Amino acid sequence: MKPIQPANCPPASVDELLARAHALAGLSLGELADLASIATPQDLRRHKGWSGQLLELWLGAQAGSKPQQDFPQLGVELKTLPIDEQGRPLETTYVCYAPLTGIAGLTWETSNVRNKLSQVCWIPIEASRHIPPAQRRVATAFLWSPCAQEERLLRQDWEELMDLIALGQIENISARHGQVLQLRPKAADGSALTQAVGTDGQFIMTRPRGFYLKKPFTQSLLNQAFC
Amino acid sequence: MPIQILPARLANQIAAGEVVERPASVIKELVENSLDAGATRIEVEVDKGGHKRILVRDNGSGIVQQELELALSRHATSKIASLDDLEAIMSLGFRGEALASISSVSRLSLTSRPQAQEQAWQAACEGRDMAVKLMPVAHPQGTSVEVLDLFFNTPARRKFLRTEKTEFNHIDEVIKRIALSRFDVAFSLKHNGKLLRNFPVADNDKARLKRVGQVCGGNFGNDAMLVQSEFQGLKLWGWVLPSAVGMADQQYCYVNGRMMRDKLVNHAIRQAFEGWLPPEGHAAYVLYLELDARQVDVNVHPAKHEVRFHQARMVHDFIYRAITDVLERPLNEADSENTPPQVHSLPAVEPKHDYITPLRPKVGEATSGYRTSRDVSSAAASAYQSLMRPAAPVTSAQTQTVDQWILVKAKWLLLMLENDCCLLPLYKLEQYKMLQQFSTRPVSQPLLMPIAIAGDDRLLSLAREKREECRALGLDIATLPNKVLLKQVPAGFRQTDWASLLPRVLESAEGQSKYCLVQGLAANDKEYQQAQAQALLSWSQQHFGSQWQRQLAAWSKALPLEQWLDE
Repeated sequence: MKPIQPANCPPASVDELLARAHALAGLSLGELADLASIATPQDLRRHKGWSGQLLELWLGAQAGSKPQQDFPQLGVELKTLPIDEQGRPLETTYVCYAPLTGIAGLTWETSNVRNKLSQVCWIPIEASRHIPPAQRRVATAFLWSPCAQEERLLRQDWEELMDLIALGQIENISARHGQVLQLRPKAADGSALTQAVGTDGQFIMTRPRGFYLKKPFTQSLLNQAFC
Repeated sequence: MPIQILPARLANQIAAGEVVERPASVIKELVENSLDAGATRIEVEVDKGGHKRILVRDNGSGIVQQELELALSRHATSKIASLDDLEAIMSLGFRGEALASISSVSRLSLTSRPQAQEQAWQAACEGRDMAVKLMPVAHPQGTSVEVLDLFFNTPARRKFLRTEKTEFNHIDEVIKRIALSRFDVAFSLKHNGKLLRNFPVADNDKARLKRVGQVCGGNFGNDAMLVQSEFQGLKLWGWVLPSAVGMADQQYCYVNGRMMRDKLVNHAIRQAFEGWLPPEGHAAYVLYLELDARQVDVNVHPAKHEVRFHQARMVHDFIYRAITDVLERPLNEADSENTPPQVHSLPAVEPKHDYITPLRPKVGEATSGYRTSRDVSSAAASAYQSLMRPAAPVTSAQTQTVDQWILVKAKWLLLMLENDCCLLPLYKLEQYKMLQQFSTRPVSQPLLMPIAIAGDDRLLSLAREKREECRALGLDIATLPNKVLLKQVPAGFRQTDWASLLPRVLESAEGQSKYCLVQGLAANDKEYQQAQAQALLSWSQQHFGSQWQRQLAAWSKALPLEQWLDE
């Protein structure tokens, strides 16, 4: 058989992107790394995002860690989805940074969350803790756009969370807020701080936050695609 | 203690606990009543900080004699009549509690003369059931309410009253707040017979600014910046002064003419002033927010200090942006008095997506709205739909349906076929059904995790040879140097043990893959559930039509039931 190779250009169409992603299904990260002549780390704790970067390389995404959609010309966002042996999501899925200041007048229609999630190429990856990175296998990718019901849920949560942020309630937001979308601190460590609005309208310093999709939501996406 | 209805006075006293906190709250309620009655001149007289006497006199529409008694009872109001009115309140009051509450904790007399009435009447109530006494008196057009000895009968409340001076300061504050809410009404305030406040009607910009200066004092009237903004049905106007020194607490805010201490509004204002204030400094402002009454719920707090906005964040952000806009405007522009003040219309917020590349047609389509259907080829989609559709109900023309069958050991059906009692192995029926379906390429579904089957060179070469043959059976396989990957399987067979079945299919003799696959999927020891059995039976009736019994009988074993019964 002819050996597959990392893409050297961005996919020209969504179909091409999906075909590339499907070609990776069943291969382990170690195999993909070897084929691309990239070193595989022993554990991912100090190499966060390695698997995502590897897949970006294989699929021909240019962005790296830039705050760009992964395939801007296709309007498609690439998201890896760590799953266990039973195909259940292992963790919540990061969507994007939550803006904490300068948000006056922001609406769902113009929000980053809606934009990022308008079309997603999900790539589930086997990622149980006991499996070393090299042996983790890539599962079958699937393309997703929120249906009316999913968008309604996302929108409700987004509006509720943004209301709280705008009204200075950020410190009262816990990961339990939201049905499908949650707000959590997003930082390498707890010492990074950013500006936000406090309860009296004054500026306060707080940990940067990110929007995350809850596990039951990503599970329902997997169910839709594979059940 | 037995359960009993509370006496009217006691019930009113309890309600008074929420509304009547101190003399100033009495005055607030009474003056608001006067405003709702359309008064253009309101005089307030207070003796001893309101402890002894409060008098509010207006020139409003008055109350006719017949309604005086009702006016003093609880839940009586002329301001709303139905729940619909509550949805869009424009009057200040509406609960119908103020007069009853106040009269239950004081000696209250209500005197009124509407224009059409020749005689003024005074009503006062007393006693446990608050019986109302009426008597004729002399009074100009309008209404006076006199409140004597506030809290004379509720000692607990009386203890919370502060000194005359403090209580008068509260009253003064209330009058100032109300005066800023209605420039078209003249207000005066007397304390112990001495005129302390006098606000004539302010019917032009200069007079209004003068009243604002009177209320806020200091340099507010001269230095304040004008705010005038509107956005999508919201309107904010008034004055702000970021550099207020020594003017703590000059903060007045009104929502639809109602004075407010609302958290959301204060938060937005505070946020807008962030960075403009000296440390520990206070902003001074007089601001009026106007919006559709249906967009705001005032029935939140008995004293109506708080409201609830239906679109809280939009209102918050509008206030924030409107004030920020004024603060950031160049001073000379804000100060120039020659240009007539213009309503500043806020632009819509531009989305900030620095990661979106300029739109191309394809992208525009993808981001302008969510697509409802997924990218599935139409052939596959329709095939899939036919798969998902429940079997069409058997029409009555084919009334040979059996409705009596028994599933035996999850493998066989016991049923009557052509008048014989038969035992039908379900796997045979299913195998037949699959072969029919596999004669054309079946719908295949991707596996979440492709199944990897380690194999030697022989298996790998077989896999490469049979790749197309497998594809026709709905199996999508790929080969790696040392293993075979199974990525897609026929719809409905995700749970099958493919790791053992696939090698058998690959190793089967030339042209036998289909049969090998079918035998694997519907093995002779496969177990079925009631619903599956029913579905197979229905399918066979549809597929074979009138021949179905004969066909099924051919696969079955006939039981000599008649014979046994005869024995």
